[in-house]
Amino acid sequence: MSDVGEALGARHMAGFKDFFQYASSTRVVAGRDLLSGTGFEMGKEGSHRVWVVTDKVIRETGLVDRVEAGVADGGLEVAGVFDDVPQDSSTDVVDRCAAEAREAGADSFLAVGGGSVLDTAKIADTVFSQGGNAAEKEGFFLMDREDDGMGAPLPIAPLGGIPTTAGTGSEVSMGAIVKDPERKVKLEIADFPLFPRLAILDPEATRTLPPKIAAATGMDALTHAIESYVALEWNPFQESRSLGALRLIRENLRRAVEDGPSDEEARGNMLVAASMAIAIELGSAHAMSHPCGAQFAVPHGVANAINLPHVIRFNAEAGDDVADRYRDVCEALGVESGGSAATVGDNLASHVTGLVEGLGLPTRLSQVGVPEDGIPALVEGAMGDGLSLMNPREPSEEDYERLYHAAL
Amino acid sequence: MAYFKDADEVYSFIGKLFQDLAEDEELAPRFRKANTVVQYAYRDPDSVITVQLKEGEDGRVDFGDTDMDPEVVMSMDADTAHRFWLGKVNVTVALARGQMKAKGPVAKILKLVPLVKPVFPKYRAMLEEAGRQDLIEAS
Repeated sequence: MSDVGEALGARHMAGFKDFFQYASSTRVVAGRDLLSGTGFEMGKEGSHRVWVVTDKVIRETGLVDRVEAGVADGGLEVAGVFDDVPQDSSTDVVDRCAAEAREAGADSFLAVGGGSVLDTAKIADTVFSQGGNAAEKEGFFLMDREDDGMGAPLPIAPLGGIPTTAGTGSEVSMGAIVKDPERKVKLEIADFPLFPRLAILDPEATRTLPPKIAAATGMDALTHAIESYVALEWNPFQESRSLGALRLIRENLRRAVEDGPSDEEARGNMLVAASMAIAIELGSAHAMSHPCGAQFAVPHGVANAINLPHVIRFNAEAGDDVADRYRDVCEALGVESGGSAATVGDNLASHVTGLVEGLGLPTRLSQVGVPEDGIPALVEGAMGDGLSLMNPREPSEEDYERLYHAAL
Repeated sequence: MAYFKDADEVYSFIGKLFQDLAEDEELAPRFRKANTVVQYAYRDPDSVITVQLKEGEDGRVDFGDTDMDPEVVMSMDADTAHRFWLGKVNVTVALARGQMKAKGPVAKILKLVPLVKPVFPKYRAMLEEAGRQDLIEAS
């Protein structure tokens, strides 16, 4: 495919693609009673003095104490615990985390928390290992490399993650996002060294997760799975992961929300689903949700839950090739997949909305503090989000305006 | 072998395209909404084009040294830039492969990408008018 228009991501939704790139270098260990073996596993990654990154809420649950004991049990030392990560972390927090790790003589990082904690640890590890500061690290595939920037990326210190939510997938991804309060933007970094070397998926880490957060983060995972499956930059490896994640979410999300503390199996499967669903190839639901978070502090999973059905309807009308991919999603979720392109989009969108309602989450942006006069700024944010370029239907400003109004 | 023999040739075609865009009554106002200064740093041949896209200000395009302070720097081979303006490069793929590298608030540039579609035939026409069918066919 080399016709004029490829610059805009001409659609190629099936068959052997002209190009795709897939990487997944994180060693995943999943199962029960793994926290006590944290040191044993981190030791295999070359860790000796572990810098634990977390937040105060997680620390108060006692989970971090158990992780620290697990580190020591493996013959490793805890160099220190940084528990100052806020819900929506920022570059100054990252820089402080890196500086304190250096002062403590750490040689590796272990993130225990949700997306904000994991992303903070990833970027802090980069600053710790390569110098500079968080703001300088912004960009895609721009981390320091050999051969005048064109060779292999320079490594960072061993990094492990123990997710305490099942949604972000950051524990197995090469992306990280934090706020840059000076420039008032979300600073995005993606490059291969940011893949954590180790992810420990233990349902004990999500046992105390409040149902609302379990629901919102679960919807984030669902959105990752659906958007990565229909993105222009889909690939067959992620395709398998996305469909597998959807099947797990179908069977386990409601259970993990409604019976979370007692349903260890559902919690464990949701952790696996979230790690399978994550991708950097997403689409317009995420492009719409990022500015909702940046400008109106709407939690990311909630914004995705609200925006996703509208984007599905919009995309399904792009053509049969896109609708056919939504049919696969319908089948994985147990939704009627027949009918016209518009019908399959409507069926899937209605199913998602029903799921969101059933989980007790809001279904409209106006319910989460987004005012109508905020839409122009949201449209500008969505248009400037790189994920818009991966959406299977090219969105215009007018399209985003209509979609935000529909979601309001 | 690179498509362009030297920096002057890059400026004659890609640079000229930016200059034409800066004066385009329909497209220029839309590009200026980005409200930024972008520098395109090309390799092989080494060449630099800096473009001011500021609302309420005239467009400005500098070749080589400049006193403008770029907010975003896009680095790539001049060949990649040439192929991009012919509509033959997928930006997301090029970023993923490292063929294009973007430093700074990339969002400001990414939102311009959908606007460039009408520019591709202009670039092709410019090459044809200059008798440089070879540059079109080589890509």
